[in-house]
Amino acid sequence: MPAELNWHELMPFTHLLVHNLHYIALAFMVVAYTIKIWSILKKPAAREGTPAKGDHKKAIQYSFLLLARPDEMESTRKQWYRWIEFAVFHVAMAVGIAVAFTMPWAHEAMKGSFIVYFQQGIFGIAALIGISRLVRRITRADMRAISTPDDYFCLILLTLWMGSGVMNAPQTSEFWLLSYFSMATFFLFYVPFSKISHYICWPFMRYYMGKHFGHRGVYPKKRIAGA
Amino acid sequence: MAMSEKAKEFNQLFKERLNRQHVLSLTACAHCGMCNDSCHYFLADNDPKMTPAAKADSIRGIYKGHYDWLGKIVPFWVGSRQVKTDEDLERLKDVVFGSCTGCRRCTINCPFGVDMAGIVSLTRSCLVDVEVAPEGVLTVMKDQWETGNQMAVSKEDYLETLEWLEEEVQMELDDADFKVPIDKEGSDFVFVINPREVKYAPLSLQAAFKIFHVAGLDWTMPSEGWDNTNFGLFSGKADLGGHMGNLAYNHAKQLGVNRMVISECGHGFLSTKWEAPNWGKANPLPFEMISILELMVDLINTGTIILDPKKNPLPVTYHDPCNLSRSSGLTEEPRFCLKRSCLDFREMIPNRADSYCCTGGGGAMSMAEYAKKRLSVAKKKADQIRETGAAIVTTACHNCVDGLSDLIKHYDLKYEINGKSMWLPVKNVCELVADAIVIPMELPKRKPRVKEIVKPVKVLVIDDQPDIVDYLEALLQDNGYEVITAHDGDEGIEKAKADRPDLITLDVSMPGKSGVTVFHELRNTPTFEDIPIFIVTGVVDFRQLMYQKTVEAPEGFMQKPINPEVFLMTVDRLTDRTRQKVAVEESGKPA
Ligand code: SF4
Ligand code: SF4
Repeated sequence: MPAELNWHELMPFTHLLVHNLHYIALAFMVVAYTIKIWSILKKPAAREGTPAKGDHKKAIQYSFLLLARPDEMESTRKQWYRWIEFAVFHVAMAVGIAVAFTMPWAHEAMKGSFIVYFQQGIFGIAALIGISRLVRRITRADMRAISTPDDYFCLILLTLWMGSGVMNAPQTSEFWLLSYFSMATFFLFYVPFSKISHYICWPFMRYYMGKHFGHRGVYPKKRIAGA
Repeated sequence: MAMSEKAKEFNQLFKERLNRQHVLSLTACAHCGMCNDSCHYFLADNDPKMTPAAKADSIRGIYKGHYDWLGKIVPFWVGSRQVKTDEDLERLKDVVFGSCTGCRRCTINCPFGVDMAGIVSLTRSCLVDVEVAPEGVLTVMKDQWETGNQMAVSKEDYLETLEWLEEEVQMELDDADFKVPIDKEGSDFVFVINPREVKYAPLSLQAAFKIFHVAGLDWTMPSEGWDNTNFGLFSGKADLGGHMGNLAYNHAKQLGVNRMVISECGHGFLSTKWEAPNWGKANPLPFEMISILELMVDLINTGTIILDPKKNPLPVTYHDPCNLSRSSGLTEEPRFCLKRSCLDFREMIPNRADSYCCTGGGGAMSMAEYAKKRLSVAKKKADQIRETGAAIVTTACHNCVDGLSDLIKHYDLKYEINGKSMWLPVKNVCELVADAIVIPMELPKRKPRVKEIVKPVKVLVIDDQPDIVDYLEALLQDNGYEVITAHDGDEGIEKAKADRPDLITLDVSMPGKSGVTVFHELRNTPTFEDIPIFIVTGVVDFRQLMYQKTVEAPEGFMQKPINPEVFLMTVDRLTDRTRQKVAVEESGKPA
């Protein structure tokens, strides 16, 4: 039977990390994101003064829902496996963050075998996806041409984080707990500076795209009878 | 290294002009590469520098250098870069003018919606202001500022062309009542057009006029503010964009029309309908703006015009202009018209918003330095067309007509009719609709042109290909012209001096003296400078030279293969003044 992690006898640094540093990092990330969003929103938005041809509201909805409609974009239609990769990887990231903030106080409840297997399953698949993305980024010339050191660094670190998540899920070793939480904490500090922060732009991007294309009658895609 | 003056100014302008949407597009890219296969520049030969994200990074890097937290401290880490020298600006120019048509195919395939056209346009506007831009773009912009249209057509020439077209439509419909109304106040709509239609491709105008007349519409042409194209869009310069828009809007307001109908032009529609009212602070406008495509759908739907598709029996395909399909949502209207105007309509795959760019993009035809690249990346479009097996390519944009005509020649896209192999013709949608239109009462056939000619008009044909010379000679003689021929440049100049023709048709690529040299020599000879010259050439690059004013614009231009109808129309138009003069001399009355 594997050894069990004793949450009451953690090393002082591990204790500080999971109970304090972790939250400080979260607060830092929130402040940094607020500044980032403010610096974007302080720029004036281009506005349409012409009468609208389409329906803004429907178009904005359509623009957001495209995320869940791989059949609607040629890129995701043709590269459906990348859409699945994207979906699983991002769900795993969300689960990873949720685990990082629930485990310190709900560790007993998270020892149930279903929760452990679920974590290991999703983190394991995400780690494999991370490796495949890394291989793609390194081996394909077109991907190398658009990759910065930050891109490689983030991808390697996220993959390792997911790997550590697999090992940490059964809560058997302080080493894996430390690894998992130190990487999670590092991310919270680093993310606002890196390309990973792209996701905070996503809602704004889709909103403006929907509004623009909706105004001009491009979104939602239409058909007229007999055409 | 000290920063050059131009680089300083560029950086300043770049920061000043950033808006929220630009900042988002410059911040959001995850470098996921999902858009790579969307761009025809990349697909042509898989050059990794040609992916949308790689090109956007040339601009994104500048933004990061100014604003990104890490980009300012450790630039290499996030790919930030600085524009410091004039060489940096030149490199940027090659990206934004030479490697992206702003077609937005990548945008609709990006999970974020990174707007490449938006950031390219921002960068172009800053480059134009520091005068680092293709010569052709600067020239066309200057023409629009100074003359109010991009081909510097004088008001006199514009009105004369309309008058001549009036006669053409009268003859075609055998209806002397047909008039091209000019500045008719209180009309239902004013029709704004592309100067290319006036200068080199009047068939689409003739078709539109025919449709308006048969439908019995209440319309007018404007004497001012008639150019719907707008180099403000291509150059990113909102001041020029607003100026051009306002020329058209102000004149339409004076006329008190209900609507402005925009002829088939992708960037003309996008700029006139959507962009220029914002640039020129012209909102709200007291009239509606629609495309002629929407007007035609309405006329067909209401039974105002009846079409007989049997009149267009050959297989037809349609190219979606990017500015209409991806930026204006006009994808169904052309199909609606074409499916009712021809028997065999064939879709290109992919189509509508997924269609590939023709590479003529907005104003790309004006940049001779990128013509070679433009044609090489047009491969994807050429493959699409070839696969349809169509005999006629249609589109709803004049830039696309030029772009497609060039690529059809470059990739040798042919169709066989009656055992003769011909390059595919490219037509506007309204031409097919006009061809299919059922004239309410049976009208007699077109009057032979020969009757119109009081005294034979003399045309000198200069071409080194004997079969072309023979063909043009026969075609012209059959239509009542007197023809002199020459087979090279020297002979051409000699005959021009000896016989003083009323018009010269001139090939460009000839052994010995080239057509361009002959053209310059004649233009610079005082007694010959007023003889109209009609360039008939197979040289693809010539149009670019002409658009960017590397060579002076000839009075007429046509790309081989020769379309006899367009050829005769152009000859007719260019000799119209001579006929008028002869008629006045002989009878004291205009012809
Ligand atoms: S806008 Fe069109 S030409 Fe420009 S990068 Fe995107 S796909 Fe390529
Ligand atoms: S698809 Fe969008 S986010 Fe991905 S690389 Fe292209 S522009 Fe960037």
